[in-house]
Amino acid sequence: MSDYLQVANDPMLWLMAAPGIAIVALQAVLFSKKAFNAGKYANLTRSEARKAFKVGAISAIGPAVAVFIVMLGMMSVVGAPITWMRLAMIGAAPTELTAATMGAQAMGVEFGGPGYGVTEYAASVWTMSLNGIGWLLFCGLFTHKLTGIRDKVSKGDDRLTVEIGGAAMLGAFAYLVGGHLVAGGGRLIAAVASGLAMIALVYIAKRVPRLLEYNLGIAMVIGMIAGVMFT
Amino acid sequence: MDNVAEKVTNDSANYENSFSKPIIKTGRWTLLIAIPLSFLPAIYLYLNYGAIPPIGRILTGWFLIVSIYGSYYVIEPVSFFPVLGVSGTYMSFLAGNIGNMRLPCAAVAQEALQVEPGSNKAELVATLGIAGSIITNLIVITIAAVAGNQLFNYFPDPVINAFDFVLPGIFGSMFAMFAIKHPVYGAFALSIVLIMLGIIKVLPVYVVIPASVFLTIAFAVMSYKRKKSA
Repeated sequence: MSDYLQVANDPMLWLMAAPGIAIVALQAVLFSKKAFNAGKYANLTRSEARKAFKVGAISAIGPAVAVFIVMLGMMSVVGAPITWMRLAMIGAAPTELTAATMGAQAMGVEFGGPGYGVTEYAASVWTMSLNGIGWLLFCGLFTHKLTGIRDKVSKGDDRLTVEIGGAAMLGAFAYLVGGHLVAGGGRLIAAVASGLAMIALVYIAKRVPRLLEYNLGIAMVIGMIAGVMFT
Repeated sequence: MDNVAEKVTNDSANYENSFSKPIIKTGRWTLLIAIPLSFLPAIYLYLNYGAIPPIGRILTGWFLIVSIYGSYYVIEPVSFFPVLGVSGTYMSFLAGNIGNMRLPCAAVAQEALQVEPGSNKAELVATLGIAGSIITNLIVITIAAVAGNQLFNYFPDPVINAFDFVLPGIFGSMFAMFAIKHPVYGAFALSIVLIMLGIIKVLPVYVVIPASVFLTIAFAVMSYKRKKSA
């Protein structure tokens, strides 16, 4: 263990990371409460609201376990408390590791290489934090101004709002899946297999509606098995 | 009849006051207070170990990272806004993991409750779905940070390898879920993405993401208007 890693795993750093993570949890609780209370003005019953929360929580298990695996790699280079904080707030592992590397480069050393000591580690932490606040600042200041873009285009035509929402989703997921299709190999197989599985599941769920909330998990696992079998 | 109309107007005013407006207030202060909190570890390293780079080096690091991700600070929220809405944007950009967790969980919750897309009810369901996913994420990440290295030894290799395919699995199934509803838009979106990523190749991400989202929206609006006038 290099000496910076001893500092990076200083127990006090857990305490320093905790308030940021607490804000994430607090916000999720506050927003949920407001959504529960506003339900009566939008025909959302309390049991439906509970179900929505539950479906979100269950559907996140697969992706969260995937983050878990990536985390282990990140913990070995920037320590557990910082990894905990960065991945609970705005961060994704590749972004954070890029920022940590840029911090090291600003100090003229290689990230984790010889000469990467405690001060260089501090430079990595500064760079990760400064990078993360970019999104917080923009969204904190301007999110409410983004309202109305969709409304302006649709001019109150409900059917058109639906079409625009679907098109936006498809544009976003086409981009997200596109990289894996182009990569080929197991990733291409996994993407195609889970897509086909989802189509089958949607039709099956018409007869078995209870299945709906597990669709994503089942389709994802089918894609993962297909990917592993291919490679 | 008048009563019904009155109830609808009251509901939408009440909805504004009990959800839309307070969400903006809460969203703003939670995000803005997270900014100083982000620096606590860096400040602790300085106070306890005297470890702080010269200010010039900090600024250099900042400049380097902004040159890579700076455009994302704006492009991502703007591109994902039509999908996430106001409350979803506040939550997603505080908690992160947007494409792999927040978007799918919002969409699956809406699907499971069969809500009408674009309605107030759909917004509430998405908010709750995202909130649920945030709590799961925090629990898993905390377990991983505290006990991850010990747990890792219990996973057999094929299981570890399978997690390489989580992302294509999620994205493939989410794309399919929406493509069933709007097959033509799906074909359009996928074609322009594959042209950009597979054929042109050199386009930066800050062009590809907004191009795929907004060109697909433009295509949808045009085909809708053409169908309507025909």
